[in-house]
Parts: sequence; structure tokens; C-alpha cells
Amino acid sequence: MLKSRTFLKKTRAGGVMKIVREHYLRDDIGCGASGCAACGSAHEGPVLEPQPLDRVSSLCPQPHYLLPDTNVLLHQIDVLEDPAIRNVIVLQTVLQEVRNRSAPVYKRIRDVTNNQEKHFYTFTNEHHRETYVEQLQGETSNDRNDRAIRVAAKWYNEHLKKMSAENQLRVIFITNDRKNKEKAIEEGIPAFTCEEYVKSLTANPELIDRLACLSEEGNEIDSGKIIFSEHLPLSKLQQGIKSGAYLQGTFRASRENYLEAIVWVHGDTEDNKEIILQGLKNLNRAIHEDIVAVELLPKNQWVAPSSVVLLDEGQNEDDMEKEEERECILKTAVSEKMLKPTGRVVGIIRRNWRPYCGMLSKSGIKESRRHLFTPADKRIPRIRIETRQASTLEGQRIIVAIDGWPRNSRYPNGHFVKNLGEVGDKETETEVLLLEHDVPHQPFSQAVLSLLPKMPWSITEKDMKNREDLRHLCVCSVDPPGCTDIDDALHCRELENGNLEVGVHIADVSYFIRPGNALDQESARRGTTVYLCEKRIDMVPELLSSNLCSLRSNVDRLAFSCIWEMNHNAEILKTRFTKSVINSKASLTYAEAQMRIDSSTMNDSITTSLRGLNKLAKILKKGRIENGALTLSSPEVRFHMDSETHDPIDLQTKELRETNSMVEEFMLLANISVAKKIHEEFSEHALLRKHPAPPPSNYEILVKAAKSKNLEIKTDTAKALADSLDRADSLTFPYLNTLLRILATRCMMQAVYFCSGMDTDFHHYGLASPIYTHFTSPIRRYADIIVHRLLAVAVGADCTYPELTDKHKLAELCKNLNFRHKMAQYAQRASVAFHTQLFFKSKGIVSEEAYILFVRKNALVVLIPKYGLEGTVFFEEKDKPKPRLTYDDEIPSLKIEDTVFHIFDKVKVKIMLDSSNLQHQKIRMSLVEPQIPGISVPTDTSNMDISEPETKKKKLQK
Amino acid sequence: MAFVALSEAEKVYIVHGVQEDLRVDGRGCEDYRCVEVETDVVSNTSGSARVKLGHTDILVGVKAEMGTPKLEKPNEGYLEFFVDCSANATPEFEGRGGDDLGTEIANTLYRIFNNKSSVDLKSLCISPREHCWILYVDVLLLECGGNLFDAISIAVKAALFNTRIPRVRVLEDEEGLKDIELSDDPYDCIQLSVENVPCIVTLCKIGYRHVVDATLQEEACSLASLLVSVTSKGVVTCMRKVGKGSLDPESVFEMMETSKRVGKLLHTSLQSVLHKEESLGPKRQKVGFLG
Repeated sequence: MLKSRTFLKKTRAGGVMKIVREHYLRDDIGCGASGCAACGSAHEGPVLEPQPLDRVSSLCPQPHYLLPDTNVLLHQIDVLEDPAIRNVIVLQTVLQEVRNRSAPVYKRIRDVTNNQEKHFYTFTNEHHRETYVEQLQGETSNDRNDRAIRVAAKWYNEHLKKMSAENQLRVIFITNDRKNKEKAIEEGIPAFTCEEYVKSLTANPELIDRLACLSEEGNEIDSGKIIFSEHLPLSKLQQGIKSGAYLQGTFRASRENYLEAIVWVHGDTEDNKEIILQGLKNLNRAIHEDIVAVELLPKNQWVAPSSVVLLDEGQNEDDMEKEEERECILKTAVSEKMLKPTGRVVGIIRRNWRPYCGMLSKSGIKESRRHLFTPADKRIPRIRIETRQASTLEGQRIIVAIDGWPRNSRYPNGHFVKNLGEVGDKETETEVLLLEHDVPHQPFSQAVLSLLPKMPWSITEKDMKNREDLRHLCVCSVDPPGCTDIDDALHCRELENGNLEVGVHIADVSYFIRPGNALDQESARRGTTVYLCEKRIDMVPELLSSNLCSLRSNVDRLAFSCIWEMNHNAEILKTRFTKSVINSKASLTYAEAQMRIDSSTMNDSITTSLRGLNKLAKILKKGRIENGALTLSSPEVRFHMDSETHDPIDLQTKELRETNSMVEEFMLLANISVAKKIHEEFSEHALLRKHPAPPPSNYEILVKAAKSKNLEIKTDTAKALADSLDRADSLTFPYLNTLLRILATRCMMQAVYFCSGMDTDFHHYGLASPIYTHFTSPIRRYADIIVHRLLAVAVGADCTYPELTDKHKLAELCKNLNFRHKMAQYAQRASVAFHTQLFFKSKGIVSEEAYILFVRKNALVVLIPKYGLEGTVFFEEKDKPKPRLTYDDEIPSLKIEDTVFHIFDKVKVKIMLDSSNLQHQKIRMSLVEPQIPGISVPTDTSNMDISEPETKKKKLQK
Repeated sequence: MAFVALSEAEKVYIVHGVQEDLRVDGRGCEDYRCVEVETDVVSNTSGSARVKLGHTDILVGVKAEMGTPKLEKPNEGYLEFFVDCSANATPEFEGRGGDDLGTEIANTLYRIFNNKSSVDLKSLCISPREHCWILYVDVLLLECGGNLFDAISIAVKAALFNTRIPRVRVLEDEEGLKDIELSDDPYDCIQLSVENVPCIVTLCKIGYRHVVDATLQEEACSLASLLVSVTSKGVVTCMRKVGKGSLDPESVFEMMETSKRVGKLLHTSLQSVLHKEESLGPKRQKVGFLG
């Protein structure tokens, strides 16, 4: 049967369009219940269980299915995701509404319906002859959808009655809308609110915690006084933004001060880029990362960013007077110049809430069910949740989702989602840092795994098409010890004409990951493999990363080869790229390779090959440095893990061998060669990597620091910087050069991926190369896969696809890759920091030599070379008299009482683990040498409790 | 216009017949052929109608679009006419062959609607000087069987009767900025009053008498005809003479009287048919082009 659906739509230009769609109704849509004779044979197999008896509800003892409405799905998805909830009918109407209103929830519900275990059935009621309803005159589309849902619920009940007289199956309609529920009961449909139903599940009391608490509009007004001003509706906001009355921007809360935030205004207005918001009322319930509309305050109310650190410590209550008092602290007297544009939030354009990790701060009142939750991220306000398992959740890392923030509440309301485990536990903490850095780390889905090649896998005749057989070459790989995802291998041999042939062979991952399929999408989403101290979060499933793609020795592997013909001066005579098959003769570690090169007794083909490579690498490196490539330094450490407990037992700085730089040199060369080739072939849509030159102001700190040691650093060009860094040596202070290089690293910009058609500046500053890309690690970086595909098309080894030559799609991909890389880096650092803490926990308090890296107004940032550890020594602490501090910006130095500290000064510090805040354990450092009375701590405090005796001493001195 | 080959004898036969108030197809001089009207035939228009008058077949679609009012009439919307002569109607319309006729008909339509009373143009205004509804009236000639103008005017009236314009609201904020808001109920729309929309009655002078609703053959025998647009109350809003011949004032007066009389009748029967059709509601079985 054909119906047509007509609806009106507003076009972007402001016009109104009438759209007519054809809509067919059918009578062969199954109800999804197994054992239903009427629709047993229809389409897909039955999804709902015939005897859904696992839930025992006191409200409805018979076996039943659930049929939730749109709002229940939108708000209570956490409950529905619980394994205890099964046999749910999701109507098409509901699904469509959810899709229009919240993409993330839609994705989650799709995942749930795809899960066989959950027995969720999607019923296409809109196309069913008996459940389709037309919008009536005077009915809003919302009312129509509600009616459609009720009609479907009624149909189900009648349909099931026919099918199972003895089973007495029922369908329960779940809605939180009071009116809708009343109407449903009138029509004879069993209906409950979500809360009623969940509470009736006596076997699963823990579900109640996961209920989102939604205050009803009605009783919001009369309970408690209103704290916040109302948010304006979206249409008003849009008008305001168009007229310039309001500004749209991203809300960024301050880490240090819960009463302050900055809004980054979107668009390219020159002035008012950053707007300061101060005070709870002006923040007006915005949460970090929300897109908000801001109204500027008149100039006489502008403030300067306060440098005060304020933590939200108030326990439960909405103690507004106290808040106002605290807000006064912020308004310190400041000069006119310091004032920044200040504003207040008038409305929220888009919430960017996600589930947050954190810990429960149990309410002081016994048996209270409302507790505050403190997120790990200090930029997120505390969240009020309702739970009965507070005592079990105490001391655990948990995940909480925000449901809303009513106007009369000091804190947002939320609900408990998941318990991650005990705080300080290694597994838990790793999970936390992955979640907090948005690293996708779930196991690969079935859809992704289904695309993997079947084992045992071997190279077939078909694969050899367009591929060169290089199995006879003496190829070997050189990697760090324990590496299982080997993505590069090398060879070098002398040709008959006396020239050298050098080959870089990269794992051919793009052979296994075909564009557009689930595996490709998932790797594109992950963007990169994340290496934590003891764990690797793979970008591609392990079968590929550690087996089929990994260029292990003595097996045939597919590769993408870049082969140069060079003379003995490392000048490239010829370059060619080809897909190939190789058979690595050896997988060596850096140390093993170094040993082979050094020992004069070994003269086999692998060793000669390595020697040839090493010789060429040295020439290449020299040439590169002459061009102005920078050699920078960062203190890298590696943990020695206890093989049983996996606790770190020792730290070691990474050692660099000649072979490290040998491999690196050829990878750089391959990357540059490929970059040139793909840019030549696809001038508009090559994926490249650039490293912009930092603005001169970035170098100020470096120049000043060097000056204090009577050294000159030139920063005009990369070459000048590299040269002056080389010259900056002090006989009496050999570590100075490393310190300067560490500082120089901090001055640099982030290198980023970009699409060549969207940018004009391709220069890679750090490598001093006019063009660069990533080609050599496709197993762990998605960018390389795209580059492989581009190159494969360029050399005619593979065919192209539309997305590959769409520069906007490519630019979008680059954005995601850059974000993932940044997050991976942060996660890595967080992991190192956590292991450093574990290390010092076991080690107790130690005193070490350190160098001052930066001088701040009230603190020194020091670097401990032995551990490669950086930390801050504070001189101002709560509840302690402030020492006299004089800060000099010109020669970065800080005078504390009578001692002057310069940058690069050698000091001695005491390191200990500060666990006073369970959630944010940190390494605390305090000064030991030079001694300043009242500030530094004595050397032999190793067995003392740190904080208590110190304060006493201080009082005595005063 | 469509061409018929008529011999001299045939012409004489027709002329003599008219003299006796007996036309070739058996009608009297003031009789219309059977008119078939169906509205709401094209779903993606705001209003549409199909009219069959003998072998003349007309399809009219009305599309409402938002635009800015004309400068001289800041608080009124307006109508735009376009007539497309399909080559299906007659081979002469092939290529640009129908353009002249199309423009002529469109111009006539502009003229009969160019007065305050025919359509309440003020109701088409959304906000003065800024937004108004423009009704694009597209006429499609499917088949030419004589008396084009009358058939078209009936179809236009029926289509305007069928037109539903979505109700929009103008929101104004403190700064005086306006934004258009659309209701999400598809039934929430305005209907035009077509009470005063005139119909054209064409009177062909044949011999000493005149006939209404001439067939192609009769048109070939006529040297001059008079287009009179009449409202349901019998008010003549516009008049135009077509054809090579001339008319003496007395017969013009006579023809006007006839047109008023015939026009009133035409309006009443059209109105009753339209109302009857509308009362059937959305459940009505549509005939469309399959009838």
C-alpha cells in the first residue's frame, strides 16, 4: 500500500519547501518474538526470547517485553545498556527521533541492538500496515509520534495475546511522560515510568543507581531558591549571535580556579578572542568544552585573570553566601592594562558532556543517598549523584554521566555508570588515563575482526600481480628489543656498476586494510597505536600488527619498497617505489646490529649490508645537519619492570647507538622521497606533514637563559640555531648543552598532518626539509596507510577511490589524526608519570641532584637527569607564612629570602610521593641545597613524616 | 493555436446551425461542454487542479514561495503566471512554437487578476516590505480542444481554491531583527478566499449570433470574439477583444449581458463542485491521470 508523507521544511535561504516522500506500508513485518506463528517465517530470525523470565518485576510478574519511548531511550540509555535489561522492542519511530536528537545515543542504541545477547528488536512500525498512523489535523508531530508508539504498543499486546494464550506474554510500555502514560493506560496498555519499573526489579537493585535523575519541569521552581539565570532558547541565541549581541565560543574551565573560565570565541574576529568569565553566576552552568553564547559585560565590570588557586571544597550544600565571599577574593586590585574582556554565559548552544572518571566524596550525613562526585579532571565541576552503594564505591574510580543542571542546584545532577576499580590499582589507573585522553581502547568489534584474513594465511599467485619478488635480497630489520610490530626492514648491496642499491621495505598494511570497510574506519578512528609503559593499544588488530604485517625474519611478507641507487657519496641517482614480497633474513635489536658492525670477525652478507647502510647513513646525517636540521633532546626514560608484579623497579635513560640513527636516517630519506612523489602526482590531495617555524618570541626564554651563561644562541634560521647550539659548550658544565637542547625543544611548534591542497607552507622546520610525510610506520599510524594508498595509485599498483581524492575529507581526517596523536602523547606522558609515582612509592624519599629548568614567580621547575624527571619546587604553601620572593624577568632568576636562583643552577632536591589527595597523587619536590633557613628541608628527613614537623619548625622561627 | 482544416461547406453548416441555436455537437448557444475538475492532483505543489473541457485539457499548479514584496505595494504579496504550451497539445507548439500563445495567455491572466478584489493580496503579506508569499501559477496545456481561456481560468480558480499556504510566524527580537518560524503541523495553513476570483467567458461571434465555449471548428468560423472576465456576482472585471474582425457596440453589449448570465451559472456550479470535493477530505480516492 502506498502512502505519501508530506512535510514542510525551512531552507537555508529562508524559504519554505514542501517535500513529498513516498511511503509504503507492508503486512509482512515480523514482530520479532520467536515462536510467533503469525510472523515466524518473516525475514530475519526472531530476536526476542520466547520466555523472557530472567527479570522478575514486582509490578509485572508475567513474562514481558519492554517498549520504551523516545525520552526513556535518550535519557536512560545507561540503564538499557545494563546486561540485566533484555528483550526490548525499539520502535522505528523512537529510533528516528533519537537519531535526530542525539547522535551519540543513537550510536549506542545501535550497538545494543546489534548485540545478540541483549535481545533488542527494532520494529519498523512506520511501515507496518496496522501500526502506521497519519498526522491528524491540529496534532503536532510530537503528539503524532507518541500516538504512533501507543498504537504499536497496543498492537503488540493484541498480537501476542493471539500467539500465546498459555504464555500470557505482555508488552510493557515505558514512558516518563505523565500524560502519555495516562493515555496509554486508558487504552489498555500496561504502562509504567522508567523509575517505577526499574525499582520493581527486585533482583537488580544496582540498576537504580544508573537511573538518570530528571527533575520534572513542574516542581523545579518551588524547591529551593534559584541560583542561576535562565538559559535563553537557541533561536534567541542565534539571532543574538547574528546581530553581534552575543558571541559564540568554546567554554574552557580553568584548572586552577573553579570560579573562572575562558571562552574561546569562534570565527576570525581580531579583538575579543578570549573572554574571561568569573563567578558561578556568570559561568551559569556551562561545563568544560560546551559551546556557549556569551554576552560581554560593560567595561567597568571587566576583570583581570586572577592568579589565585581555588578548589571547590564546599561539601554538600548550596551555600551561596560563602561562594560570594570567595568570589570577592578574585577581584584583586589590578591595573587598567591587565583588564580583559569579561562576560557571562547567556545560553548553551551545544553541550559536550561525556561520561567522566573520578571518585565519590561520600556525604557526611549517614544513610544519605545523595553524594558528590569529584571528577579527575579539575575543569569539570563536582556532580551530585544518587546511589545506595556509596560505601562500596568509596575509594574506587567510577564513571558518572551528567543528566542536567537545574537552575536551583549548585551542582549538576548525574548518575553512576560504571565502577572501574580501586584507586591506585594499575589496571584501573590505566583505564582512567585512557578514558580521560579519549583513547579508543575497546576490543575490536566483531565486524572489524571478520575482515581479517583467515589463518593460515599465505601469499597467493594473485597477490604477486603488480608485485616484485625481492625474496632473494638480504633484507634485515633493526628495532628496539621486544618489538613485535616490525614495520620496516632494510637492505644494501653493491651493484655491478659499482653503485650501491639501498632498499627500505615497509609493511604493506594497505593490502590488508581496504578503504571504507569497518576495519579501515576503526583504524582511521584510532589514528595511532598508543604505547603506554606496559601496554600497547593497537590501531589494527593484533593478528595484523604482530603477525601478518610485521616483517619478521624468515617468513615471506608483503612490503612496499622504496629503492634507491646511490653512489658512495650517498647521492641518490635513481628512486623507485614498488610493492614487493620480501623475506627478512634477520630481526636484530639496535645493540645486536651495532655489535655486528663493530666486530671485525663477522663478514656475512647481513653484516656487510649493515656496514654499507651505516656508512651511507653517516654521510646523509652530515648532509642533513649542514642543511640546518635540529638535533634536539628530551630526557627519555625507560622503566625496568619487575617480571612478576610489573612494578617499575628501576629507571634508565634511553641509550642512543649509531644504529638508531642509521635506521632513522633511512626512514627520513624514504619519507622525503615518498612525499615528493605523492605531491608530484597529487598536488591537491597529498597527505603531508609539516613542522612550522616557531615565532621568534618562542625563543626568548632560550636566548635569555643562554645569555645568563654568557652564551649566544641565534634563532634567525634553523641552521643558525643548530650551529649555535653546537657551539654552546661549557668545559666546566658539560650537561649545559643538553639542558639548552631540552629548552629548545620546548620552544618548538607541534608538527601536524595536512592536505597539500589546503595549505601552501609545506616546510618541515625540525628536519630542514621542504617536504615531508609519514610512510614508514603503517602498522602504528593511520596517516602512513593513506600515504601508502596514494603512492600505490601513483605507481599503478592499486586503484583509487573517491574519498582518497577529496581534499575536504582528507583535511577532516588530518584533523582527527592530529588530535589522536596529541592525545596519545598526553596519555603516554600520563602513563610515565603514573609509573614514576609507583617507582617513588616503592623507593621512599630520596634526595637527588637537579638543574633548574625554568624560574617561575613562586616556584622553580627542576630536572633530575638521573630519572629524566621534571618537577616543580613550590615556595608558597597553604597555611604557611610566605617567604620573601623577588622575581627578575630579564635574567630569569628568583631571589628567595637572600639566596638567588638562576636558570641552570644546580640544586639538590628531595623527592617524595604526596598522597594527600588520593585522586591526584603527585611527586612533590622540596629544596635541600642550597640551604635557606625555613624553606629548605634538612637532608636526613628520609624517615620523618613530612608535613607535621615542618610546620612546627616554622612557627618556632617566626 | 491549433489548426483545423474546414471546407467552405462545413463552415456554412456551422454558421447556419448557430443561427438556429443548434450547434454541431447538439448544444445550444449558451451551453458549455461537460467540464471535469479535480484538485490536488500534483502532490508537491501548494495547490493544483486539472480541468478537462471537451478535449481541452489543462493542468495548473500553484507554488507558494517566500519573497520580498514589490516596492510600490509593500504590504501585499503577488501572483506570477507562466503558461507552458506542451508540444503534446499540438505539433505547432514544438520548440518555441507555443511561446507567443503562452505569453498572450499569461498577459491576459495578469490583467484579470490586476485588481484589488479578485484575490486578497494583503493576506499574502508576511511582514511589510520584507516578506510576502509569491504564488507562482504554472499553467500547462496538455491538449487543445478550443476555448482555452475559459478552461484555463476555471483551472486557475480551482487551483487557487486548493492552495494551502503554510502558516508562518515572524519572530522579532529586541533589536528588531526578524526571523521566520514555521509551524510543524502540516494542517496549520492559510487558505485563500476565491470568492471573487473571476472566470473568463469567451463569446465567439458566429454569423449574427454569438456562442460560448466554442470548439476548434467553431472558432475557425468566427472572425472576432470577446473575452469577458466575470466574478461570481456577475461583475465584469476585464474585457478583451480577439480576432481579426470587428464588433459593433450593440452586439458587444449583448455579449456582455450573455457573459454575465453564463458566468454566474458557471461560478455557482464550479463552487459547488469544489466544495463537494473538499468535504470528502484526504480520504477521497484520487482519479488523477488514470481517470
